[in-house]
Amino acid sequence: MELYNQLLQQLIMWQYELNRYISTTIRSLNDENNITVSITILAIAFLYGLIHAAGPGHGKALVAFYFTSNKSDYKKAFKMGYMISIIHAISALIFTFGIFFILKTMFRRNFNDFTNIAMQISAVMIMLVGLYLIYEAFINRKSKEEKISKQNKSEYAVAFSAGVVPCPGVMTIVLFCIMLNHYILGILAALTMSIGMGLTISTAGILSIAINKKSKGVLSSKAYLLEMIGSLLVFSLGLFLFLSLSLK
Amino acid sequence: MFKKFIILTFFVNILFAHPHTFIEVFPTIEVKKHKISKLHFKWVLDDMSSAMLIMEFDQNGNAKIDKKENDFIRKNYFEPLVDYNFYTDVKINNKIQNTIKPKNFRASIRNNKAVYEFDVDSKYSIKNLKFDFGDEDFFVAMILKKEFVKIKGAKAKVSDLDNDFYFGYRLEIK
Repeated sequence: MELYNQLLQQLIMWQYELNRYISTTIRSLNDENNITVSITILAIAFLYGLIHAAGPGHGKALVAFYFTSNKSDYKKAFKMGYMISIIHAISALIFTFGIFFILKTMFRRNFNDFTNIAMQISAVMIMLVGLYLIYEAFINRKSKEEKISKQNKSEYAVAFSAGVVPCPGVMTIVLFCIMLNHYILGILAALTMSIGMGLTISTAGILSIAINKKSKGVLSSKAYLLEMIGSLLVFSLGLFLFLSLSLK
Repeated sequence: MFKKFIILTFFVNILFAHPHTFIEVFPTIEVKKHKISKLHFKWVLDDMSSAMLIMEFDQNGNAKIDKKENDFIRKNYFEPLVDYNFYTDVKINNKIQNTIKPKNFRASIRNNKAVYEFDVDSKYSIKNLKFDFGDEDFFVAMILKKEFVKIKGAKAKVSDLDNDFYFGYRLEIK
């Protein structure tokens, strides 16, 4: 645990350094160095996304629990990681451009309010997905074929519920670019960052599936129980998030 | 099953917040007769967060924070941080003291960054005195480095602070 905490502390320091490096590099952008500096910014944004999503949040727990409760392959984990991160980035772009061009003033306060509201919506959606998975595990424990088609639907629901919260990290970079009149760069940086985040989120799902596969022999007889526990954990996650936001 | 439980617990632990704003803390401390005689804090916000805040703070766009703007920031942005103990826990003999009461708040813009400065009047004894900087919600990362600390009349030690749910820095006065 000590090692894990040190890793998280180190992730923060890397983000702190990358945050400084990105802002300094964006400020240094001019007509002469446009292409090389833009490529550098996008490369850093990718790295920043990778590290940023490795810290707390971004639906990694949800993805891990989901794949505990659903048998899947690595491709699906990869797909879901990227669905979450792309929805995450698109949501951030919509919120940022929306707030910036519609409201203009009181940006920071609205930025926080919107993030809070989006997190509450996300928490309710996670709870609903959890309930759906509980229902699915209970009803479909004998009908495997029907389950496969329903599983696809729940994958989109999981990805949407986790990704709908706009990533404040992406919003900050996009806004910073907008304020310095680098609109296209802002959008590209958001997308590049989301590619980095997708890789990290996918890893959480892949790890979860790998554990599932490793413990297959021992747990195959308890598959239903495992699915139910995973589904309950998804629901608890949403409830916990909702309560922590409501009690603030 | 136990292994899986541990790993799932690991994921729960890292579910929630993560820092998006970085604040560098620059404390200035003077000690006389084993008591703090001057305690001043300067917070320098990161460039990107500053850009957002300055857009709202500098209402007349003169690249300065005027008195009216300073009052607005204090009332709407700084004072509400009392809910977070101003990201500063004062500990004596490992017991958290009352929330700090900042005075003489001043906001400014330096090198495109938003800067907050304030004084704390409390005359703490330096015996087993510690300042813990961090945000328990983990949306803000407080950054303290040894070279940020200015101290007279005593020695300061800076170390990492691990509170399980968030990280910060500890400043010990000796």
